[in-house]
Amino acid sequence: MSSLALVTLVSTFLASAVEFVEAVTIVLAVGVTRQWRSALIGVAAALVALALLIAIFGSAIVLFVPISVVRLVVGGFLIIYGLQWLTKSVLRAGGAKAKHDEAAIYQREIAALRAEPPVPATGMDWISFTVAAKGVLLEGLEVAFIVVTFGATAGMLAPAVLGAAGAGALVLGIAFLVHKPLAAVPENGLKFAVGVMLTGFGTFWAGEGVGIDWPAGDATILVLLAGYIALALLGIYLVRESLSRRRTGATTAPAARGEL
Amino acid sequence: MRYVRSFFAFWYDFLVGDRWELFLGPIAALLIAWLAVRAEAPAPVTGVLLFVFVSSIGGASVAWAIRR
Repeated sequence: MSSLALVTLVSTFLASAVEFVEAVTIVLAVGVTRQWRSALIGVAAALVALALLIAIFGSAIVLFVPISVVRLVVGGFLIIYGLQWLTKSVLRAGGAKAKHDEAAIYQREIAALRAEPPVPATGMDWISFTVAAKGVLLEGLEVAFIVVTFGATAGMLAPAVLGAAGAGALVLGIAFLVHKPLAAVPENGLKFAVGVMLTGFGTFWAGEGVGIDWPAGDATILVLLAGYIALALLGIYLVRESLSRRRTGATTAPAARGEL
Repeated sequence: MRYVRSFFAFWYDFLVGDRWELFLGPIAALLIAWLAVRAEAPAPVTGVLLFVFVSSIGGASVAWAIRR
């Protein structure tokens, strides 16, 4: 396996794992509170829809769109998407934003589902089907987006699909075994890693798309990744410093005014 | 009409969300890089320029989020 295929596989695996953890939380809540059979049929329907989306858009992009256009558009989207993930994870790691709490989300989902009409005694429970299918489809759409963009731009659709499928199998397998939301998964760390990867690859490909002839070729990707990691870590440090200065200012200001 | 509106609302939320600077910023950065390439700026300079712009957008967005 080439190094690019390996990087594609790892990137889509990590990105997909984060999204599958979020989807599993919704499906578990539906299955536990309502009906497993309808929820799992909903999951299967959403997975088929996602597979079709990946197959259609992945093939169409590879076959019909010139590679320079693909690199520019996909690279641009990857930068946008990567920066969203990266800045969020920097804010969370720095303490400026609450971390994603799967256990709390699970409890909220359960409360919302209990407020719905009761499960029918026979046949399909369409609420279970719809909520599970919608959850998997919405979270899976991000997976599909990453798989298609990585696969099409690097010409690595197979490793991209393999990475996503591997993550799906792993997360679903663990959820099936432990039967509760995967709150212990270091989601922010994964989002940080994926954010760096998407931004780094996006910069490289979009740069090629606008006509930059990167001096070190593919090795430039490593330089970009290292640069973004260093700046993101600096960002976390600066966020922490800023918050701690603000807290210190908030406690010393009343004292300075003689209020304490 | 309702479906069309919710379709666009979904994609707007998916790509832009509540942080428009992370959507428009990279587009502006790529436009500047494209102009630099057209002006025949050396590739390493254009590459560094793109990296610096993208990083600055991320940094500005984080700083903005803290202030908000």
